[in-house]
Amino acid sequence: MTAITADEKQQIKDIVCDILELEEDEITEESLFVEEHDADSMRLIEILSSLELNLKVTIEQSELARMVNLAGVYEVVAESAR
Amino acid sequence: MTGRAPSRRRLDIVGWSATSPFGTGRAAFSQGLREGRGTSAPLDHEQWQVPAGPACLVPDFDVRKVLGKKGTRSMNRVTGLAVSTVGDLLAELDRPGLTPETTGMVLGTTGGSVQSTLDFTRGSLTGELPYLVDPGLIPYGVMNGAAGQIAIWHQLKGPNATLAAGRSAGLLALNYARRLLLTDRAEMVLCGAAEEYSTARAWLARHTAESDPDALLLGEGCAMFALTAVAAESDPVAQATASLVGVKALTSSEGDWEAVVRRAVGQLLDDAGITPADLWAVSPSAAAGAAGKAEAVIAQDLVAAGGGVRLPVAELLGEAHAASAAFQLAAVLGRAEADERAAGRFSVVTSTDEAGTVAAALLRHY
Repeated sequence: MTAITADEKQQIKDIVCDILELEEDEITEESLFVEEHDADSMRLIEILSSLELNLKVTIEQSELARMVNLAGVYEVVAESAR
Repeated sequence: MTGRAPSRRRLDIVGWSATSPFGTGRAAFSQGLREGRGTSAPLDHEQWQVPAGPACLVPDFDVRKVLGKKGTRSMNRVTGLAVSTVGDLLAELDRPGLTPETTGMVLGTTGGSVQSTLDFTRGSLTGELPYLVDPGLIPYGVMNGAAGQIAIWHQLKGPNATLAAGRSAGLLALNYARRLLLTDRAEMVLCGAAEEYSTARAWLARHTAESDPDALLLGEGCAMFALTAVAAESDPVAQATASLVGVKALTSSEGDWEAVVRRAVGQLLDDAGITPADLWAVSPSAAAGAAGKAEAVIAQDLVAAGGGVRLPVAELLGEAHAASAAFQLAAVLGRAEADERAAGRFSVVTSTDEAGTVAAALLRHY
Protein backbone atom coordinates (compact mmCIF):
# COMPACT_ATOMS: atom_id res chain seq x y z
CA MET A 1 0.00 0.00 0.00
CA THR A 2 1.34 3.38 -1.02
CA ALA A 3 0.46 6.58 0.75
CA ILE A 4 -1.45 9.19 -1.14
CA THR A 5 0.03 12.67 -1.50
CA ALA A 6 -1.76 15.98 -0.94
CA ASP A 7 -1.35 16.73 -4.64
CA GLU A 8 -3.03 13.48 -5.57
CA LYS A 9 -5.85 14.18 -3.14
CA GLN A 10 -6.43 17.52 -4.79
CA GLN A 11 -6.33 15.93 -8.23
CA ILE A 12 -8.89 13.33 -7.17
CA LYS A 13 -11.12 15.99 -5.70
CA ASP A 14 -10.92 17.99 -8.94
CA ILE A 15 -11.90 14.93 -10.97
CA VAL A 16 -14.82 14.07 -8.70
CA CYS A 17 -16.09 17.67 -8.63
CA ASP A 18 -15.86 17.90 -12.40
CA ILE A 19 -17.81 14.70 -12.96
CA LEU A 20 -20.43 15.36 -10.29
CA GLU A 21 -20.71 18.97 -11.50
CA LEU A 22 -19.96 20.39 -8.05
CA GLU A 23 -18.01 23.35 -6.73
CA GLU A 24 -15.22 22.31 -4.36
CA ASP A 25 -16.95 23.80 -1.34
CA GLU A 26 -20.07 21.72 -1.97
CA ILE A 27 -18.32 18.43 -1.20
CA THR A 28 -16.64 17.06 1.92
CA GLU A 29 -14.58 13.93 2.47
CA GLU A 30 -17.59 12.25 4.01
CA SER A 31 -20.49 13.51 1.86
CA LEU A 32 -22.05 10.69 -0.16
CA PHE A 33 -21.90 10.78 -3.96
CA VAL A 34 -25.23 9.07 -4.59
CA GLU A 35 -27.32 10.15 -1.62
CA GLU A 36 -26.08 13.73 -1.31
CA HIS A 37 -24.74 14.63 -4.75
CA ASP A 38 -27.28 12.94 -7.05
CA ALA A 39 -24.72 10.65 -8.67
CA ASP A 40 -25.96 7.64 -10.62
CA SER A 41 -24.09 4.47 -11.63
CA MET A 42 -22.90 6.14 -14.83
CA ARG A 43 -21.21 8.94 -12.87
CA LEU A 44 -19.51 6.42 -10.57
CA ILE A 45 -18.09 4.58 -13.58
CA GLU A 46 -16.93 7.90 -14.99
CA ILE A 47 -15.10 8.64 -11.74
CA LEU A 48 -13.41 5.23 -11.78
CA SER A 49 -12.34 5.55 -15.41
CA SER A 50 -11.16 9.10 -15.03
CA LEU A 51 -8.99 8.13 -12.07
CA GLU A 52 -7.45 5.28 -14.10
CA LEU A 53 -6.86 7.63 -17.01
CA ASN A 54 -5.37 10.53 -15.08
CA LEU A 55 -3.59 8.85 -12.16
CA LYS A 56 -2.35 5.85 -14.17
CA VAL A 57 -3.78 3.42 -11.67
CA THR A 58 -5.82 0.26 -12.12
CA ILE A 59 -9.00 -0.05 -10.09
CA GLU A 60 -11.16 -3.17 -10.04
CA GLN A 61 -14.84 -2.51 -10.65
CA SER A 62 -15.64 -4.32 -7.41
CA GLU A 63 -14.02 -1.37 -5.61
CA LEU A 64 -16.95 0.84 -6.65
CA ALA A 65 -18.76 -0.42 -3.55
CA ARG A 66 -16.21 1.41 -1.39
CA MET A 67 -16.06 4.55 -3.51
CA VAL A 68 -19.11 6.15 -1.93
CA ASN A 69 -17.41 9.40 -0.94
CA LEU A 70 -14.05 11.17 -1.27
CA ALA A 71 -12.61 9.36 1.76
CA GLY A 72 -13.50 6.03 0.15
CA VAL A 73 -11.91 7.05 -3.15
CA TYR A 74 -8.69 8.17 -1.43
CA GLU A 75 -8.52 4.79 0.27
CA VAL A 76 -9.11 2.81 -2.92
CA VAL A 77 -6.58 4.84 -4.93
CA ALA A 78 -3.97 4.47 -2.18
CA GLU A 79 -4.34 0.68 -2.31
CA SER A 80 -4.56 0.41 -6.08
CA ALA A 81 -1.92 -1.04 -8.36
CA ARG A 82 0.25 1.57 -10.10
CA MET B 1 -50.28 -4.71 -38.79
CA THR B 2 -52.44 -4.35 -35.76
CA GLY B 3 -55.52 -6.26 -36.89
CA ARG B 4 -57.75 -3.35 -35.93
CA ALA B 5 -60.38 -1.81 -38.12
CA PRO B 6 -59.06 1.30 -39.89
CA SER B 7 -59.34 3.99 -37.26
CA ARG B 8 -61.44 7.02 -38.02
CA ARG B 9 -59.09 9.33 -36.31
CA ARG B 10 -57.28 12.51 -37.11
CA LEU B 11 -53.83 13.57 -35.93
CA ASP B 12 -53.71 17.13 -34.69
CA ILE B 13 -50.46 19.03 -34.40
CA VAL B 14 -51.02 20.76 -31.09
CA GLY B 15 -47.73 22.59 -30.77
CA TRP B 16 -44.28 23.06 -32.22
CA SER B 17 -41.02 24.78 -31.51
CA ALA B 18 -37.71 25.29 -33.24
CA THR B 19 -34.16 26.18 -32.32
CA SER B 20 -32.65 27.42 -35.54
CA PRO B 21 -30.20 29.89 -37.04
CA PHE B 22 -33.12 32.37 -36.80
CA GLY B 23 -32.89 32.07 -33.00
CA THR B 24 -34.60 30.21 -30.20
CA GLY B 25 -38.30 29.41 -30.23
CA ARG B 26 -41.33 29.36 -32.46
CA ALA B 27 -41.71 33.15 -32.64
CA ALA B 28 -38.11 33.72 -33.73
CA PHE B 29 -38.48 31.04 -36.38
CA SER B 30 -41.70 32.48 -37.79
CA GLN B 31 -40.31 35.99 -37.77
CA GLY B 32 -37.08 35.05 -39.54
CA LEU B 33 -39.08 33.23 -42.17
CA ARG B 34 -41.50 36.13 -42.64
CA GLU B 35 -38.59 38.51 -43.15
CA GLY B 36 -36.89 36.03 -45.49
CA ARG B 37 -33.73 36.63 -43.51
CA GLY B 38 -30.60 34.72 -44.57
CA THR B 39 -28.60 33.35 -41.64
CA SER B 40 -25.22 32.66 -43.24
CA ALA B 41 -22.42 34.16 -41.13
CA PRO B 42 -18.63 33.94 -40.92
CA LEU B 43 -17.37 31.40 -38.41
CA ASP B 44 -15.08 31.95 -35.47
CA HIS B 45 -12.19 29.80 -36.59
CA GLU B 46 -10.68 29.85 -33.10
CA GLN B 47 -13.68 27.80 -31.96
CA TRP B 48 -14.27 25.79 -35.14
CA GLN B 49 -11.32 24.05 -36.81
CA VAL B 50 -13.23 23.76 -40.06
CA PRO B 51 -12.86 24.55 -43.76
CA ALA B 52 -12.99 28.25 -44.63
CA GLY B 53 -16.38 29.74 -45.41
CA PRO B 54 -19.57 30.69 -43.61
CA ALA B 55 -22.25 28.53 -41.98
CA CYS B 56 -25.73 28.95 -40.51
CA LEU B 57 -25.39 28.40 -36.76
CA VAL B 58 -27.91 28.79 -33.97
CA PRO B 59 -26.83 32.17 -32.57
CA ASP B 60 -24.99 32.02 -29.22
CA PHE B 61 -25.94 28.43 -28.60
CA ASP B 62 -23.82 26.92 -25.86
CA VAL B 63 -25.22 23.81 -24.18
CA ARG B 64 -24.14 24.71 -20.63
CA LYS B 65 -25.24 28.33 -20.96
CA VAL B 66 -28.67 27.32 -22.23
CA LEU B 67 -29.36 24.29 -20.03
CA GLY B 68 -27.21 25.05 -16.98
CA LYS B 69 -24.24 23.19 -15.53
CA LYS B 70 -26.10 20.23 -14.06
CA GLY B 71 -26.24 17.10 -16.20
CA THR B 72 -24.56 18.77 -19.14
CA ARG B 73 -20.84 18.13 -18.58
CA SER B 74 -20.43 15.72 -21.48
CA MET B 75 -23.59 16.67 -23.37
CA ASN B 76 -22.96 17.25 -27.05
CA ARG B 77 -24.46 19.99 -29.16
CA VAL B 78 -27.12 17.93 -30.91
CA THR B 79 -28.45 16.67 -27.58
CA GLY B 80 -28.40 20.19 -26.16
CA LEU B 81 -30.34 21.49 -29.15
CA ALA B 82 -32.91 18.68 -28.89
CA VAL B 83 -33.34 18.87 -25.09
CA SER B 84 -33.72 22.63 -25.24
CA THR B 85 -36.22 22.57 -28.12
CA VAL B 86 -38.40 19.99 -26.37
CA GLY B 87 -38.28 22.19 -23.26
CA ASP B 88 -39.62 25.11 -25.29
CA LEU B 89 -42.31 22.90 -26.81
CA LEU B 90 -43.41 21.58 -23.42
CA ALA B 91 -43.54 25.12 -22.08
CA GLU B 92 -46.19 26.00 -24.62
CA LEU B 93 -48.20 22.81 -24.08
CA ASP B 94 -50.32 22.12 -21.04
CA ARG B 95 -47.55 20.32 -19.19
CA PRO B 96 -49.60 19.25 -16.14
CA GLY B 97 -52.12 17.75 -18.57
CA LEU B 98 -49.50 15.41 -19.99
CA THR B 99 -49.13 11.91 -18.60
CA PRO B 100 -45.42 10.99 -18.65
CA GLU B 101 -46.21 7.29 -19.19
CA THR B 102 -48.21 7.95 -22.35
CA THR B 103 -46.08 10.69 -23.86
CA GLY B 104 -43.72 9.36 -26.52
CA MET B 105 -40.62 10.81 -28.11
CA VAL B 106 -39.46 10.22 -31.69
CA LEU B 107 -36.27 11.87 -32.88
CA GLY B 108 -34.94 11.95 -36.43
CA THR B 109 -31.20 12.02 -37.00
CA THR B 110 -28.52 11.06 -39.50
CA GLY B 111 -26.18 9.15 -37.22
CA GLY B 112 -26.45 10.96 -33.93
CA SER B 113 -23.40 13.14 -33.38
CA VAL B 114 -20.64 12.18 -35.77
CA GLN B 115 -18.37 14.39 -33.65
CA SER B 116 -19.02 12.40 -30.48
CA THR B 117 -18.62 9.10 -32.29
CA LEU B 118 -15.28 10.15 -33.74
CA ASP B 119 -14.05 11.67 -30.46
CA PHE B 120 -14.75 8.39 -28.69
CA THR B 121 -13.10 6.31 -31.39
CA ARG B 122 -10.10 8.61 -31.48
CA GLY B 123 -9.75 8.34 -27.71
CA SER B 124 -9.62 4.57 -27.93
CA LEU B 125 -7.09 4.57 -30.77
CA THR B 126 -4.75 7.17 -29.31
CA GLY B 127 -5.03 6.38 -25.59
CA GLU B 128 -2.45 4.31 -23.76
CA LEU B 129 -4.82 1.36 -23.78
CA PRO B 130 -7.90 0.86 -25.97
CA TYR B 131 -10.25 0.88 -23.00
CA LEU B 132 -8.81 4.02 -21.39
CA VAL B 133 -11.57 6.20 -22.81
CA ASP B 134 -13.81 8.86 -21.35
CA PRO B 135 -16.98 6.93 -20.46
CA GLY B 136 -18.90 10.21 -20.30
CA LEU B 137 -18.84 10.23 -24.10
CA ILE B 138 -20.53 6.85 -24.45
CA PRO B 139 -24.17 7.93 -24.02
CA TYR B 140 -23.65 10.61 -26.66
CA GLY B 141 -21.58 8.53 -29.04
CA VAL B 142 -24.55 6.34 -29.88
CA MET B 143 -27.24 7.72 -32.12
CA ASN B 144 -30.11 7.35 -29.70
CA GLY B 145 -28.31 9.30 -26.99
CA ALA B 146 -30.20 12.50 -27.69
CA ALA B 147 -33.67 10.93 -27.60
CA GLY B 148 -32.77 9.17 -24.35
CA GLN B 149 -31.53 12.37 -22.75
CA ILE B 150 -34.70 14.21 -23.80
CA ALA B 151 -36.76 11.59 -21.98
CA ILE B 152 -34.54 11.72 -18.89
CA TRP B 153 -34.40 15.52 -18.80
CA HIS B 154 -38.12 16.09 -19.36
CA GLN B 155 -39.36 12.93 -17.62
CA LEU B 156 -41.12 11.39 -20.60
CA LYS B 157 -41.81 7.71 -20.02
CA GLY B 158 -43.66 6.69 -23.19
CA PRO B 159 -42.14 5.02 -26.26
CA ASN B 160 -38.74 6.46 -27.13
CA ALA B 161 -37.48 6.01 -30.67
CA THR B 162 -34.67 7.29 -32.84
CA LEU B 163 -34.91 7.20 -36.62
CA ALA B 164 -31.80 7.52 -38.74
CA ALA B 165 -32.92 8.69 -42.15
CA GLY B 166 -30.69 11.56 -43.17
CA ARG B 167 -32.41 14.56 -44.71
CA SER B 168 -35.82 12.86 -44.61
CA ALA B 169 -35.57 12.01 -40.91
CA GLY B 170 -38.07 14.66 -39.80
CA LEU B 171 -40.81 13.24 -42.02
CA LEU B 172 -40.09 9.63 -41.13
CA ALA B 173 -40.17 10.58 -37.45
CA LEU B 174 -43.57 12.12 -38.08
CA ASN B 175 -44.73 8.90 -39.70
CA TYR B 176 -43.47 6.86 -36.77
CA ALA B 177 -45.30 9.20 -34.39
CA ARG B 178 -48.44 8.73 -36.51
CA ARG B 179 -48.23 4.96 -36.14
CA LEU B 180 -47.63 5.15 -32.38
CA LEU B 181 -50.76 7.26 -32.00
CA LEU B 182 -52.99 5.22 -34.31
CA THR B 183 -52.02 1.99 -32.54
CA ASP B 184 -52.61 3.52 -29.09
CA ARG B 185 -49.00 3.20 -27.98
CA ALA B 186 -49.10 6.80 -26.81
CA GLU B 187 -51.59 9.60 -26.21
CA MET B 188 -49.20 12.34 -27.16
CA VAL B 189 -46.01 12.07 -29.20
CA LEU B 190 -43.31 14.70 -29.41
CA CYS B 191 -41.41 14.23 -32.62
CA GLY B 192 -38.96 16.07 -34.80
CA ALA B 193 -35.34 16.05 -35.83
CA ALA B 194 -32.04 17.60 -34.81
CA GLU B 195 -28.67 18.25 -36.39
CA GLU B 196 -25.56 19.87 -34.93
CA TYR B 197 -22.83 21.85 -36.61
CA SER B 198 -19.46 20.31 -35.77
CA THR B 199 -15.91 20.13 -37.03
CA ALA B 200 -16.41 16.49 -37.96
CA ARG B 201 -19.61 17.16 -39.89
CA ALA B 202 -18.12 20.12 -41.73
CA TRP B 203 -15.18 18.05 -42.98
CA LEU B 204 -17.31 15.01 -43.79
CA ALA B 205 -19.74 17.16 -45.76
CA ARG B 206 -16.87 18.72 -47.67
CA HIS B 207 -15.24 15.42 -48.57
CA THR B 208 -18.50 13.76 -49.60
CA ALA B 209 -20.02 16.74 -51.44
CA GLU B 210 -21.54 15.75 -54.78
CA SER B 211 -21.37 19.30 -56.08
CA ASP B 212 -18.92 22.19 -55.51
CA PRO B 213 -17.63 21.75 -51.94
CA ASP B 214 -16.92 25.49 -51.69
CA ALA B 215 -20.61 26.20 -52.27
CA LEU B 216 -21.62 24.12 -49.22
CA LEU B 217 -23.49 26.09 -46.61
CA LEU B 218 -24.25 23.97 -43.56
CA GLY B 219 -27.04 24.74 -41.14
CA GLU B 220 -28.07 23.21 -37.82
CA GLY B 221 -30.80 23.15 -35.23
CA CYS B 222 -33.89 21.27 -34.17
CA ALA B 223 -37.63 21.43 -34.72
CA MET B 224 -40.14 19.53 -32.60
CA PHE B 225 -43.85 18.91 -32.96
CA ALA B 226 -46.49 17.61 -30.57
CA LEU B 227 -49.15 15.32 -32.02
CA THR B 228 -52.23 13.72 -30.58
CA ALA B 229 -55.05 11.60 -32.04
CA VAL B 230 -58.68 12.68 -31.92
CA ALA B 231 -61.94 11.41 -33.45
CA ALA B 232 -62.02 12.30 -37.15
CA GLU B 233 -65.12 14.46 -36.96
CA SER B 234 -64.28 16.34 -33.75
CA ASP B 235 -63.32 20.00 -33.57
CA PRO B 236 -59.62 20.85 -33.68
CA VAL B 237 -57.84 20.38 -30.37
CA ALA B 238 -57.23 23.70 -28.62
CA GLN B 239 -53.97 25.28 -29.87
CA ALA B 240 -53.87 22.96 -32.92
CA THR B 241 -53.16 24.86 -36.11
CA ALA B 242 -52.98 21.89 -38.47
CA SER B 243 -53.48 18.17 -38.75
CA LEU B 244 -51.22 15.56 -40.28
CA VAL B 245 -53.12 13.96 -43.14
CA GLY B 246 -50.48 11.49 -44.26
CA VAL B 247 -46.83 10.64 -44.85
CA LYS B 248 -45.42 8.63 -47.75
CA ALA B 249 -41.92 7.20 -47.75
CA LEU B 250 -40.55 5.52 -50.86
CA THR B 251 -37.12 4.48 -52.11
CA SER B 252 -35.52 5.71 -55.29
CA SER B 253 -33.19 2.95 -56.37
CA GLU B 254 -32.67 3.63 -60.06
CA GLY B 255 -31.89 7.30 -59.99
CA ASP B 256 -35.22 8.51 -61.38
CA TRP B 257 -35.88 10.85 -58.48
CA GLU B 258 -38.56 12.80 -60.27
CA ALA B 259 -40.78 9.78 -60.87
CA VAL B 260 -40.51 8.68 -57.24
CA VAL B 261 -41.17 12.14 -55.77
CA ARG B 262 -44.14 12.50 -58.14
CA ARG B 263 -45.47 9.12 -57.04
CA ALA B 264 -45.15 9.96 -53.33
CA VAL B 265 -46.93 13.30 -53.71
CA GLY B 266 -49.54 11.83 -56.08
CA GLN B 267 -50.40 9.07 -53.63
CA LEU B 268 -50.76 11.55 -50.77
CA LEU B 269 -53.13 13.79 -52.74
CA ASP B 270 -55.13 10.80 -54.06
CA ASP B 271 -55.49 9.24 -50.61
CA ALA B 272 -56.80 12.57 -49.28
CA GLY B 273 -59.06 13.00 -52.30
CA ILE B 274 -57.66 16.43 -53.17
CA THR B 275 -56.00 18.12 -56.16
CA PRO B 276 -53.09 20.58 -56.38
CA ALA B 277 -55.66 23.40 -56.39
CA ASP B 278 -56.42 22.54 -52.75
CA LEU B 279 -52.84 23.26 -51.71
CA TRP B 280 -51.81 26.38 -49.87
CA ALA B 281 -48.04 25.77 -49.95
CA VAL B 282 -45.36 23.41 -51.21
CA SER B 283 -42.00 23.01 -49.53
CA PRO B 284 -39.27 21.14 -51.42
CA SER B 285 -36.07 20.38 -49.49
CA ALA B 286 -33.60 22.13 -51.83
CA ALA B 287 -31.21 19.19 -51.62
CA ALA B 288 -28.07 19.46 -53.72
CA GLY B 289 -27.87 17.47 -56.93
CA ALA B 290 -30.39 15.50 -58.98
CA ALA B 291 -32.70 14.64 -56.08
CA GLY B 292 -33.18 18.28 -55.12
CA LYS B 293 -33.73 19.27 -58.72
CA ALA B 294 -36.44 16.63 -59.06
CA GLU B 295 -38.18 18.00 -55.97
CA ALA B 296 -37.98 21.51 -57.41
CA VAL B 297 -39.61 20.34 -60.65
CA ILE B 298 -42.49 18.70 -58.78
CA ALA B 299 -42.93 21.78 -56.58
CA GLN B 300 -43.05 23.96 -59.67
CA ASP B 301 -45.62 21.66 -61.29
CA LEU B 302 -47.80 21.76 -58.18
CA VAL B 303 -47.63 25.54 -57.95
CA ALA B 304 -48.40 25.81 -61.68
CA ALA B 305 -51.44 23.58 -61.13
CA GLY B 306 -52.78 25.99 -58.55
CA GLY B 307 -50.87 24.61 -55.59
CA GLY B 308 -50.27 27.85 -53.72
CA VAL B 309 -46.88 29.25 -52.78
CA ARG B 310 -43.45 27.65 -52.71
CA LEU B 311 -41.76 28.16 -49.36
CA PRO B 312 -37.98 28.55 -49.32
CA VAL B 313 -36.31 27.14 -46.21
CA ALA B 314 -32.83 25.77 -46.93
CA GLU B 315 -32.09 28.93 -48.92
CA LEU B 316 -32.32 30.83 -45.61
CA LEU B 317 -31.19 28.25 -43.04
CA GLY B 318 -28.52 26.33 -44.95
CA GLU B 319 -28.24 22.58 -45.49
CA ALA B 320 -29.50 21.32 -42.15
CA HIS B 321 -29.19 17.63 -43.09
CA ALA B 322 -31.17 15.61 -40.49
CA ALA B 323 -33.06 18.71 -39.35
CA SER B 324 -33.94 19.88 -42.86
CA ALA B 325 -37.35 18.24 -43.27
CA ALA B 326 -38.34 19.21 -39.72
CA PHE B 327 -37.44 22.84 -40.54
CA GLN B 328 -39.59 22.64 -43.70
CA LEU B 329 -42.50 21.41 -41.65
CA ALA B 330 -42.02 24.19 -39.10
CA ALA B 331 -41.83 26.69 -41.93
CA VAL B 332 -45.12 25.53 -43.41
CA LEU B 333 -46.82 25.72 -40.00
CA GLY B 334 -45.26 29.06 -39.12
CA ARG B 335 -46.20 30.74 -42.38
CA ALA B 336 -49.70 29.25 -42.48
CA GLU B 337 -50.47 30.51 -38.97
CA ALA B 338 -49.90 34.06 -40.22
CA ASP B 339 -51.91 33.69 -43.42
CA GLU B 340 -55.71 33.45 -43.33
CA ARG B 341 -55.73 32.06 -46.86
CA ALA B 342 -54.22 28.84 -45.52
CA ALA B 343 -57.30 27.97 -43.46
CA GLY B 344 -58.95 24.77 -44.65
CA ARG B 345 -56.29 24.19 -47.28
CA PHE B 346 -53.40 21.73 -47.48
CA SER B 347 -49.61 21.86 -47.73
CA VAL B 348 -47.05 19.39 -49.04
CA VAL B 349 -43.52 18.93 -47.72
CA THR B 350 -41.11 16.84 -49.78
CA SER B 351 -37.68 15.53 -48.89
CA THR B 352 -34.99 13.39 -50.47
CA ASP B 353 -31.83 11.86 -49.09
CA GLU B 354 -28.83 10.76 -51.10
CA ALA B 355 -29.20 7.26 -49.66
CA GLY B 356 -32.38 6.93 -51.75
CA THR B 357 -35.16 7.92 -49.37
CA VAL B 358 -38.01 9.97 -50.79
CA ALA B 359 -40.56 11.21 -48.29
CA ALA B 360 -43.53 13.51 -48.46
CA ALA B 361 -46.05 14.71 -45.91
CA LEU B 362 -49.46 16.29 -46.31
CA LEU B 363 -50.84 18.73 -43.74
CA ARG B 364 -54.23 20.36 -43.44
CA HIS B 365 -54.37 23.86 -41.95
CA TYR B 366 -57.12 25.00 -39.59
